[in-house]
Amino acid sequence: MPEELFEHTTGQGKQENDSDEEIEALKFTEKMMDDKIDKDAILQAIALYHVYSSTAEDGNVVALRGLNVSVKKGEAVAIVGPSGSGKSTLLKCLGVLMKPSAGGVILNGKSTTRRTGLELVRMRQETVSFIFQEGNLLPDLSAIDNVAQALRHKDIRPSEAKRKAMDILVELGLEDRVNSMPATLSGGEQQRVAIARALVTNPKLILADEPTGALDPITSREVLELFGKLHAEKGVAFLIVTHSDEVAAFCDRSLELRDGRFVAEHGTNLDVDDLEGTRELIVDELGTVSFPPEVLMKMGGSGRYEIAHNEKGEVTLVTAEKNKSMIKGKKVLASQCPACNHKYKDDSQLCPECGSSRPMVNES
Amino acid sequence: MSQSEISWLSWFFSITVWKERFLGLQKRITDLPDNLRIATLTSWRDKERGLAVFAGVFLASLVITLVLIYGVGLSQAFLEESIEQTVFDSKIEFKSAPEPGASGWTNDTAVLQQMCDEVVIRNEFNDCTLVLGKSGLHSEISWGNDAAFYASPLFMDSIDSSDQDKKWDTKDLWNYEYTTGPPVVNVRAISFLGPEAFDGVLAERLSENIIYEMGEWKTHEEVNNERGIYIPLDIASAAGAEVGDNLDTLTFTYTYERSLPGAMEDEDCPGEIIEGEEYRLMYCQVKMSIENVTILGIYEPWPQGNPVLAANPIYSTWTLLSEEQQITLIDKDHVYLGITVDRSLLPTASISAAETWLDEISNDMQKQTYDNGNVKIFYVDIISGTILWLEFVLGFVQVFDYILMIPVVILSLYLLIYGLELSLEQRRREISIHRSIGATADKLKGMVLFELFIISSAAWVGGYILAFFAVPIILSSVGFMQFESLDININPVLSIGATFFTILATLGLALLFGRSRTQKFLEMEIDEGVKKTAQSGKPRTWLHVIMLFIGTLGAIDTYQELSTGGTGIISNWFLGGLINIFGPFMLWIGGALLLSRLGAYGPKIMLFFFKRTPLLSDVKRGLQNTGSSESTTRLSLIMLLTLSIVTLAAVQGYTGSLVDERTADLQIGSDIKIYSTEPMTSAEIEEAVLNISSKDITVNALTVPMISLESEDGTDANAYVLMNGSENILKWFPQAIPGKDISDAINGYEGGGFSAGPDMAFSLDLEGSGRFGDSSDILYKENDKESEVMNFTWEKTEIVLTNIDPNSTMTPDEAFEYYTNLMDRDWSSIDLSNQDLSNRNFSRTDFSNTNLSGVNFANSNLNESLFFNVNLREANFTGASLTNTIFVVTSDNIANLDFTDANLSGSFSFYPVNLTSPNFEGATCPDGSIQNESNNCETGFSESPTPLLFPVYFPASFEVQITSYQTSMRYIGIHEFIPGVATNEMNNYLIINEQGYRNLVGDKEVNNLTATTWIVDVDGLDNDELQVLALLIAADSKFEGADDWETTHENVERNGGIIFGTQGLFTLQYLVASAAAIASAFVFLSLVLNQKKKELAILQAIGASPGQIIRLVLFEILSIVFFSMILGIILGMGLSLAFNGFFNIFGFLFQLFSGTGEEAVISRILQWPWWVITQVTLGVMTVVVIALVFTTRRALRADLAVVLKGE
Repeated sequence: MPEELFEHTTGQGKQENDSDEEIEALKFTEKMMDDKIDKDAILQAIALYHVYSSTAEDGNVVALRGLNVSVKKGEAVAIVGPSGSGKSTLLKCLGVLMKPSAGGVILNGKSTTRRTGLELVRMRQETVSFIFQEGNLLPDLSAIDNVAQALRHKDIRPSEAKRKAMDILVELGLEDRVNSMPATLSGGEQQRVAIARALVTNPKLILADEPTGALDPITSREVLELFGKLHAEKGVAFLIVTHSDEVAAFCDRSLELRDGRFVAEHGTNLDVDDLEGTRELIVDELGTVSFPPEVLMKMGGSGRYEIAHNEKGEVTLVTAEKNKSMIKGKKVLASQCPACNHKYKDDSQLCPECGSSRPMVNES
Repeated sequence: MSQSEISWLSWFFSITVWKERFLGLQKRITDLPDNLRIATLTSWRDKERGLAVFAGVFLASLVITLVLIYGVGLSQAFLEESIEQTVFDSKIEFKSAPEPGASGWTNDTAVLQQMCDEVVIRNEFNDCTLVLGKSGLHSEISWGNDAAFYASPLFMDSIDSSDQDKKWDTKDLWNYEYTTGPPVVNVRAISFLGPEAFDGVLAERLSENIIYEMGEWKTHEEVNNERGIYIPLDIASAAGAEVGDNLDTLTFTYTYERSLPGAMEDEDCPGEIIEGEEYRLMYCQVKMSIENVTILGIYEPWPQGNPVLAANPIYSTWTLLSEEQQITLIDKDHVYLGITVDRSLLPTASISAAETWLDEISNDMQKQTYDNGNVKIFYVDIISGTILWLEFVLGFVQVFDYILMIPVVILSLYLLIYGLELSLEQRRREISIHRSIGATADKLKGMVLFELFIISSAAWVGGYILAFFAVPIILSSVGFMQFESLDININPVLSIGATFFTILATLGLALLFGRSRTQKFLEMEIDEGVKKTAQSGKPRTWLHVIMLFIGTLGAIDTYQELSTGGTGIISNWFLGGLINIFGPFMLWIGGALLLSRLGAYGPKIMLFFFKRTPLLSDVKRGLQNTGSSESTTRLSLIMLLTLSIVTLAAVQGYTGSLVDERTADLQIGSDIKIYSTEPMTSAEIEEAVLNISSKDITVNALTVPMISLESEDGTDANAYVLMNGSENILKWFPQAIPGKDISDAINGYEGGGFSAGPDMAFSLDLEGSGRFGDSSDILYKENDKESEVMNFTWEKTEIVLTNIDPNSTMTPDEAFEYYTNLMDRDWSSIDLSNQDLSNRNFSRTDFSNTNLSGVNFANSNLNESLFFNVNLREANFTGASLTNTIFVVTSDNIANLDFTDANLSGSFSFYPVNLTSPNFEGATCPDGSIQNESNNCETGFSESPTPLLFPVYFPASFEVQITSYQTSMRYIGIHEFIPGVATNEMNNYLIINEQGYRNLVGDKEVNNLTATTWIVDVDGLDNDELQVLALLIAADSKFEGADDWETTHENVERNGGIIFGTQGLFTLQYLVASAAAIASAFVFLSLVLNQKKKELAILQAIGASPGQIIRLVLFEILSIVFFSMILGIILGMGLSLAFNGFFNIFGFLFQLFSGTGEEAVISRILQWPWWVITQVTLGVMTVVVIALVFTTRRALRADLAVVLKGE
């Protein structure tokens, strides 16, 4: 049974022999999930948790801490955040390449829980395509075979797959390079082939991980134009993990991910270098709120706060009196970049010269 | 029926399911070309990844196919060898024996020849001739079928020649012992062949045995006109006949009638009645003659094979017989059609296939009738009878061969599995890409397996085809890595079944392993979410340790056996045998698995030594953490496995071929060993050989006389005498002499030394016998304390005359001379000790003063011979005829004499001899009585003179006089044997030098030394010419026979030694394992390095220079490889030891079944071919260095960023 291979992805196949009670519980959560299905959303994630078990000394690593996200049909969403914040894990979970430890993903109005591996693959084939930072092309296949391979996995006949692949490659201006091997293609060409491969299956959603990260500015602009065209003409939804302002700006909205949590949402005018200026903090349904570190720092660090003022749409927090004395040594932003020795003149989080994130140091 | 069964059934019979299946199948077929294209492209473009898998399957396919074809080739070689000298493959005779008015019978030669013509029209046959010879069987030869035994050939009776030099009247000239089949009458046969035997296939086969320069197989016209006959070499040699000799009359007998004993009276028989020796019939034999015939050729007799026809007959043509004679012979059933089968049509895949084919022909032929149904025939298949036993022997050999190849098969399977894992490892990224573009697990598995299928198929085909080219070459190897052109035409073909087996065992296994590994891998890959910490199976160390322990036990056991010659540490033979068979494999697997972990620590161990050298000063930190990873352990394991097989094959192959060569050295001593009819001096031998050879050669002859000595403390010690010049003539090797250096040892002998066999050394209390725990093989120098000087005494026993009668008309001397003049042969005063003189005619031979100790006279005719003052100790007279012999011996000199079943009636002695010592069991005593327990021939020799002696009155009486001669010699150590000398008693003998011998017996005696056995060194001839010379010598009437080294070596290689074809198999094992070592070093290195790419990039990123990195990698990998290879060689050495016991077991079994049974004299002392092993080691190291530099540099050139970022 090939599906067995994917059982673990959903974790459901194996539950069949368990006690009725457990199944009841699962039905309950599923019902809860069904209640939350938004017909307008192409992708929904509800309370995603993910934990990597590790035998290392510092124990398990929590990558996602109860994420909720929803992408409307035809909407483009960017996810920004420092490395290690869980972006790649999130993308894999959303693309159902991986099973989250808890929570559910709803793809095109269908819950992905309690599905066999084969069903998941079918759902993915119908809905999602991936684009990665480097083209991630199959190194042993020519451009056209790479593109056709996606269709071949959908059991489309070789000749038809090739024809469709050819069409899309021509559309992307790659007609001269159809028979080239990936190694002989330039970075931009590779990426365009990857995009062709993602588009050839007519997806409703494209999950992209730093799609322009390895490209020069001109090429990345071309790629973005392509995205824009798709977005406008075909109504394809995008979820893009990015560091780039341009990419973020292309999106309808941006979500800021830190330590496995969405901490803030930004509008279309996102400037990645100055997240603070555009930041809207997110409070989820469970009432959890996460402060980005620089906001926290300005507040005076972690500790106990008193609610000084609370009205609809407005909350004022004040440091609790007895806690003030407990704070030993204040943490401040470092005055110079540890990587390139750039002297910071403002409170920016990222070094304008080398782009590394600005650490916190003890106040001297 | 349970719920689940019903649902299962409904699923099974549901139309939609079947429709789905059909559609799926249809899709698979339509998609096949594209899938094939993609899989082929992928596997071709990513060669490196598939290389290991390819190598594994290729090796497995090569080895398995090789062993299978080798078996086929071997059976072909066996088959061809065993039927090589068969002239007729089958015969046709009348269906029933003749009786008055018998139907289905004709005596018309024209009709019979017409039958021949018809037979040859059939495809399966290619020649046929009418033969007048052995009478018909009219049934098959089988157990309990007496009819087969009644058939008698045409027996030779006599040849009359007017040439007085020829000895056609030699007694028992026509006696011939049939060792196979029924000994109806043990007389030489004659066969009259038809005209067809002198051209075509039959002529080819018959002419092959004609000895070079001894005539040729002529056309029928010539044979008819010249009235030719062809005789075998032994007859020619005994009769002194040569090609061209004209013979007045040749007489033979045919069977006129045969009947049950007593049923035939003399008057019924116009000829002579004889009784079959062991069978129940009596035969009336009538003579028939042909006049004026000429010897046209002499052929080399071949070993008797099938009993259907008489072996080694005289050949002629029946056109020499008158028509009346021909009709008589046909009427008396002495007729058959001799047929040859077209052997190229004989199926060669296996012996049983050949038998089936022959059976079919046989069954078909039985139905045929000739001459319009008037003549009914009986078809007798000769080949299948000949090859019947082969099946058994061959099966046994093949089992041995298969076992021998197990290590290589295991090695290749290991390569395959490891290669599979590595290649899957390298697809990690690719698989995740496929998943991201929507591949199902099923599809992925299908893709991986399909690619595996493509690679494995190509590998299988490659190995399969290569095997066919390799087998004939390997089969022709005589000795280890020595290839000769094979006389036999091998045409290896594998049956469909066997081919299918190779596919199953290679491709099938690859896919099976591939399936399970891929499944496991995909499960791990896909289940990234809750990544299980890979549960690597814990190695069962305890099991490996136990295996290693048992294996080591076996190796030590063998080592003990070899070094002490004893039983080894395991005294229970059953347990010992088990350990000998299974031990090697346990040692191999257990040892390799354990040692490979040690091998992976090579860098650490090497680091310990090189830490302080400038070579590593800057990179030693980088080496701290090596040695623990699985990939290095595996690399180490593969190096260990291959090198141990290389070592095993080289050591055992080299040892085996040396053992075979030395067995030949031991048997022949030098180039040719010659047995003369009469005692000759060395000058006479050399001259005779020079005369026989037409080539320009130099000849040196040597004999090894024997003498009985006594040591100071009274121990009897027999000694062989090493004459001067033996260093150059004999083929010495270190096992024979004390110490290791041959010229040192010979100098030791020539400088007045003697050596002793271990038993004799024990009796004489000499060092080195093992008595003092010192069994070492050392040549003692003059000043060594072990080198004792000993005195030896030789007693010359003479019988002197006393009380000479002064009144006699004859002096005693004259009386003796009178008697010796009556003798036919003079064998007086020579040393014949330990010679084999059995089955010969020595009637009226003068043996006065001859040394006959240990001589074998079994079944010889010694009537009326003279044994005057002879040494007969331990002589063997079993079954000999000794009527009216004269014995003048001392009681001392007949110790342990064996007279079992001998006939001594009328044996005479001049004075009483104490006859209690000899064994007389079943003998006829001198007084004519038969020995029994109460009467042990104690009456002694007869006191009435023999008829021959009767007219002479002996004018004296005799007295024994003993003169002692002494010489002192220095002990130089323990010997084992002298090449060319019978070895069964060497343990209990001394070897003394010529000077000592001269001191004892006197110069005159030594200068005129005569003997009948000579070891001859011939210079100026190649091996083939040597074989011819030996044949020519054997054909000469001066000589009884001659054995040459080349023939003996071939025989040892083919039949003796261990097992036919083993050397070839070792060669094969060696070549395959060497190739595997080199190939796997290359393939696995690049894979291991590929895995290390990231590590190298990091090192580079943190500032290591390319030089440092190359040094680091070179040192790490080289020390793993080097260390593992050293461990592999050590393991291989242990394996060689362990396998030695295994060979002994199989050698023993083989001897048991094949009936050779001779004790192997050459001990399997392992030879260590260091040079060969070094070559392989160097080869592998070179490849490793090249591969390393190549791959490391490529890794260094790679874009750091890409490598570091990539998964």
